[in-house]
Amino acid sequence: MGKDECKTMLDALNKVTACYRHLVIALGSTSDSQNLREELKRTRKKAQELAVANRTKLTSLLKDKSISKDDRAEYERLWVLFSSSMELLEVDMKRSLEIGQDFPLKVPTRHLIQTGMTGSTTTVAARAMSVQNMKYEADSNIDTADLRDLQCEISQVSQMMEEMEMKVQVAPWAVEAKQEAGAELKSNMSVGNSSVGVISICEEEPKEEDGGGNRDAGFASICAVLVFFVIVTVAVVLGYLVINMS
Amino acid sequence: MTIRNTLRDHGQRYRPRMACLKKVEKLLLEMQDPKTGVKSQPQRLVITTIPHAITGEDIIAWLADRFQVDTQEARNFVSMLVALGYIYPLQDHRRLVIKPDASLYRFQTPYFWPTQQWPVEDTDYAIYLAKRNIRKRGILELHEQEHYNRLHKWMNHKWDFVVMQAKEQYRAAKERKKPDRVVFECQERAYWVVHRPPPGTVSAMDYGLDRLTDPNADEVTGESLCDLLVKYCSTYKSHDPFLSNCLPSNPWLTDDATYWSLNMPSVEIPTKMRVERWTFSFAELLSDPRGRDDFRLFLKKEFSGENLAFWEGCEDLKWGEAATMREKAEHIYKTFLARGAPRWINIDGKTMEVTVKGLKHPHRYVLDPAQTHIYMLMKKDSYGRYQKSPVFKDTVKKAICPEEHRYSDAQLQQNAKKRRPSLSPIILRQMEQEQRAKMAANVDITQVMSKLSKQGKEAHVFSSGRDQKQS
Repeated sequence: MGKDECKTMLDALNKVTACYRHLVIALGSTSDSQNLREELKRTRKKAQELAVANRTKLTSLLKDKSISKDDRAEYERLWVLFSSSMELLEVDMKRSLEIGQDFPLKVPTRHLIQTGMTGSTTTVAARAMSVQNMKYEADSNIDTADLRDLQCEISQVSQMMEEMEMKVQVAPWAVEAKQEAGAELKSNMSVGNSSVGVISICEEEPKEEDGGGNRDAGFASICAVLVFFVIVTVAVVLGYLVINMS
Repeated sequence: MTIRNTLRDHGQRYRPRMACLKKVEKLLLEMQDPKTGVKSQPQRLVITTIPHAITGEDIIAWLADRFQVDTQEARNFVSMLVALGYIYPLQDHRRLVIKPDASLYRFQTPYFWPTQQWPVEDTDYAIYLAKRNIRKRGILELHEQEHYNRLHKWMNHKWDFVVMQAKEQYRAAKERKKPDRVVFECQERAYWVVHRPPPGTVSAMDYGLDRLTDPNADEVTGESLCDLLVKYCSTYKSHDPFLSNCLPSNPWLTDDATYWSLNMPSVEIPTKMRVERWTFSFAELLSDPRGRDDFRLFLKKEFSGENLAFWEGCEDLKWGEAATMREKAEHIYKTFLARGAPRWINIDGKTMEVTVKGLKHPHRYVLDPAQTHIYMLMKKDSYGRYQKSPVFKDTVKKAICPEEHRYSDAQLQQNAKKRRPSLSPIILRQMEQEQRAKMAANVDITQVMSKLSKQGKEAHVFSSGRDQKQS
């Protein structure tokens, strides 16, 4: 059905927007590299494709006069989601142009900001492109060549957004969100791919901030110690039994 | 539509330029140099080690060395860097101060640098709070909770987007390695401490009032504001009594009132400077009473004096008393606009229609469209011809250029003793009114006759209820 299709496409666009933002945040820092520029380029292109697809689908759905009121409200909600995504994407693209121009890669004395991030962003880009591994095949002057493409794409996106504003008469403030406050907590989001304790320990510098964090850290370490002792006891008992057997 | 960033912001909320930002960015790049920049050391956490941490004392020392200033000055400077958000503290992240000891700081990534062009959006803040909510499992700080509730209320239509985007950004962040993830969280948190400071702290990003014009926008094509200003200054420079000598002498300086008597509103022979001013623009010519007289003389010769008379009548209506407004409007209509009027003015059909309709319920500005039309007509047509006419050339020839007074000190003292007040404004106004009455009585008959003959040839159609009152 139209709605589900729309929703999946919007989810995809949302995912790519989020990943693009992560990539742009890494621009200019020590995790910036040739690969990052290429990742940015490909993510951007994917975002644009998704945007165009979304837009055509949504405009055709909204232009249809024969839909019910509920349907229309739903489509307007999806439209607001789409336009907010596009706004974020546009701002990020413009910023990436600015930062990309300020931090060229192929200069003899390049000073990237030492932010402490040194890892690569391959996994983020792979998530955006929905592939397992990224293959890098760009030329070495991607940092300057890409900027021109980026400028064109920015103007395309701006144009698209202006057209959207003109053609589709949706009042964004009239849309009611389906999620209430705190909805993000209700989903089955695992807080980390490791246990709670490890994350709290890693946040060591904000030690004074969380009494809760501290408590958690203490609790987790006690747990770990207990488990360790239990295992050691079991091993000793088994060893004793084995020795007794033989 | 939704309010977006300043580039499409029609609400004219423009942030003033913070010139220091670009300069700080240059300095920051210098600090990154591996040889001559600030020394960095790794920060050891329990499991991970994160590089590129700098100590407070190192930064201050580097800056003092770079600019050759003393430590206190360097410390003030670095505290500004921290307050703006270019460097953030790793311990005690809520207080953006620089501690001149071994406490650790780190550089902020360029995306999170403060910029003049990109305002800090509430949408981003909402997404950040939602992400923090996820991470802290619902336990936000008090001010963050308040912000969250407020944003949820007024940004409700976007809330689905906020939640979706927060979840996606959270998942995307998890894709990175552990040290990078920690760094990213610290960066984002520092960014929001700068731009949404906790209560009781002062933000360095307070810039006062917004501007009315966008400092980033390209100037209007053609003449920019600067060009116009330069042109104005160069034109009027020699006419400004502050910037150049006024002839014969500045009455305020020499107590000699010749300058004023030579430049009276209805003087016979104007000064050269005055006549020169009439050539600068049509508005100058009209605003000077002597210039207007000259122009009136010229128009009389051309038989198009009714334009100026109409314009003056409109001005009178606009600035006159409310009690006499209705009669004035009627008089103007009868004299200039009605069919068969003695001094009929030539305006286009649409304007005439609008004006006549408005005259049914006259108010101060009812004749504005017609007045503008006539003004532009005079400006484009008559003004040019006036400047080439014998009337004007005559005036220019006759204009006087008084000699500059050279008073000795003794004479200046004499002048000071002889100071007298000038004519009372009441008397001046009476003189003005007498003159106006004289002019109204002296409407040129030849003009009227020629107009009447023209009317027969033209066909003008407009409806007016007032026509019934006309003969």
